[in-house]
Amino acid sequence: MKRNLRFYFALMFARGTKLVLKLIGRKGTSMPGSWAIILCPDFIGRMPKPKKIIGITGTNGKTTVSNMIEDVLEDNGVSFMCNRAGTNVNTGIASALINNSKFFGKPKHDVAVFELDERSSPKLYPYMQPDMLLCTNIFRDSYKRNAHAEFILGILNKEIPKTTKLILNADDPLCCSIAPDNERVYYGIDHLSTDKNECDNIVNDMPVCPNCSGPLVHDVVRYHHIGRVHCENCGYRSPEPDYRASYVDEENGIMRVEKDGVANEYKLASTSNINIYNSLAAVAVLREAGLSDEQIQKSFEKMEITESRYSESMIGGKRVILHLTKAKNPIASSRVYEIVRNAPGKKSVIIFPYDYFDDRHSVENTAWFYDTDYEFLNDESIVQLIIGGNRHHDTYVRALLAGVPKEKIIHMQDECEASEVISDEADTVFVLHDVYTIRSANIIRDKLIAKEKEAAK
Amino acid sequence: MKIEILFPEFCNLFGDAYNMVYLQKTLPEAEFIRTAIGDDVRFTEEKIDLVYMGPMSERVQELIIKKFKPIREKIMKAVESGTVFLFTGNALEIFGDYIENEDGSRVEALGIYRLWAKRDMMHRHNSAFEGTFEGETVMGFKTQFTMAYTPDDSLALFKKTRGVGLNPKADFEGIRFHNFFGTYLVAPILVANPPFTKYLLKLMGAENTELAFEAETVAAYEQRKKDFAQMVH
Repeated sequence: MKRNLRFYFALMFARGTKLVLKLIGRKGTSMPGSWAIILCPDFIGRMPKPKKIIGITGTNGKTTVSNMIEDVLEDNGVSFMCNRAGTNVNTGIASALINNSKFFGKPKHDVAVFELDERSSPKLYPYMQPDMLLCTNIFRDSYKRNAHAEFILGILNKEIPKTTKLILNADDPLCCSIAPDNERVYYGIDHLSTDKNECDNIVNDMPVCPNCSGPLVHDVVRYHHIGRVHCENCGYRSPEPDYRASYVDEENGIMRVEKDGVANEYKLASTSNINIYNSLAAVAVLREAGLSDEQIQKSFEKMEITESRYSESMIGGKRVILHLTKAKNPIASSRVYEIVRNAPGKKSVIIFPYDYFDDRHSVENTAWFYDTDYEFLNDESIVQLIIGGNRHHDTYVRALLAGVPKEKIIHMQDECEASEVISDEADTVFVLHDVYTIRSANIIRDKLIAKEKEAAK
Repeated sequence: MKIEILFPEFCNLFGDAYNMVYLQKTLPEAEFIRTAIGDDVRFTEEKIDLVYMGPMSERVQELIIKKFKPIREKIMKAVESGTVFLFTGNALEIFGDYIENEDGSRVEALGIYRLWAKRDMMHRHNSAFEGTFEGETVMGFKTQFTMAYTPDDSLALFKKTRGVGLNPKADFEGIRFHNFFGTYLVAPILVANPPFTKYLLKLMGAENTELAFEAETVAAYEQRKKDFAQMVH
């Protein structure tokens, strides 16, 4: 698209907005992009782009994988721009392009790594065609925005540019069905100790063959519809991965990846199956982007999980773990509930599964509780379940329906009071919080520390 | 007692499969028949005490309409003979007249009752709803691409107190036609509304059945009523 007066006016106005925000000490990371798009709706299309654009999309894991890719690029001295500080919708992309451009819009970097919201595809891909696009997985997500998996799949199929090379999760049949005519590479995992033969999750977004709608046989189930499948009706099979995690040493946190018959090992920050998929996805993207195995391996040695997502401390002889559990996302929450169930020790689990903003403005829709596997919290090793938040009665009912015994559950409106009722029987305390409720989790932890100090006096 | 769940492998969005899990815990002796999309439905051939269908994708909605068309008369007969149906989410559109796409094209539905729905796939509607049924409060949540319209007000199911009804101008939500109950409310409705669930059980011939975790679901219902009363629109 050609640049016209309207574009330059929008660019200059956005720059002015950025300057004003800086002067008044406000972050407002999306605001310059918002103004640019208001003033020039096809701003992203007219804005000069870096030579290589790497997009990361999918329901779950896109932020983590984007951060991994960015960390490795930075560690290797690659000059790039990204939208890490802003949002993953069109305004965030516009802001990133503005913030990383010279006066008249020329990009300062040759490479861009953009986390891209799948729902925003119609506002992105007509104006910006990624050279490569990773899709981590496709699941039902927040009902409010994303409705259901087929809806998101339909959007991606319609909008993904034909020239974009896809990097897809071979173990997700929904993901594999995206844009079948596009060039693609797959990544997948051979075997994990947690592999199952049957799905024990409530949600299965791929109940039939993506090819013929016949019955799908799950040869390996990892979680929900993720695994290896085949169809006895038409012969459809999960594709063979180009990047194959052929061995995972869970004890030492190492993953072996084979590509074209050559094997390389990478350190893992965590051996949860989600992190293995995320790490493998990052390796596939970085290799496709031209980095060497040695460069990636060296950077993976330094990889750690962000503290806002996971932190662990010892308080009064108990292991206290703060774990991000995304509200309104039944799959992400189910993953965490399974991790909690599988963790060693006797556990007290504190949950306050509400969306901070919805909760403040309305009575929150709790439908997603019933797509979330609360059943994982019904386990002998979980000695106590403490429920907090305005919808604690509804959450309590959900936990009872999952089979959690009444005598194990305590529920209260103010989740910060949970620190007062933790069972002596528990040696581990999980505090599961959303992105916007991490404050409550920190308060609970601080109260536990204060209690411990008081007891020590 | 027999309860038929239609196409649970597909019609399970928005947590609504738990309507039937809850009923199963409430009626442990009942037979629950899970009819898959490739199977023949049972309610047109034998006495079924409740037929349930949950929300689904638009593609599956059209697939089911196609499947039902050849047996429309049998379905009509089942409805008119008083079989109890509970359809949640966009399932209720299947028995309506038609579904209109954004481009004006129509998906002709079964025409069991006078109702049409208009899709708007890029503007999803989300809201909280409160209304009354048989003098009791009913609460739930709406998350949908469609708004529905009917010229027949006698089909009204829940009289609106707060929120959005069948469409922004309607003063009611849901459809009642004989013993067919269709509502867009999710959350799931049977767990969230003990009085309505009891009414349905009575119709099914299970009057005086104690609900699963009745004290707890009633406490949650009462708390939600208070919260809805404070809700700002």
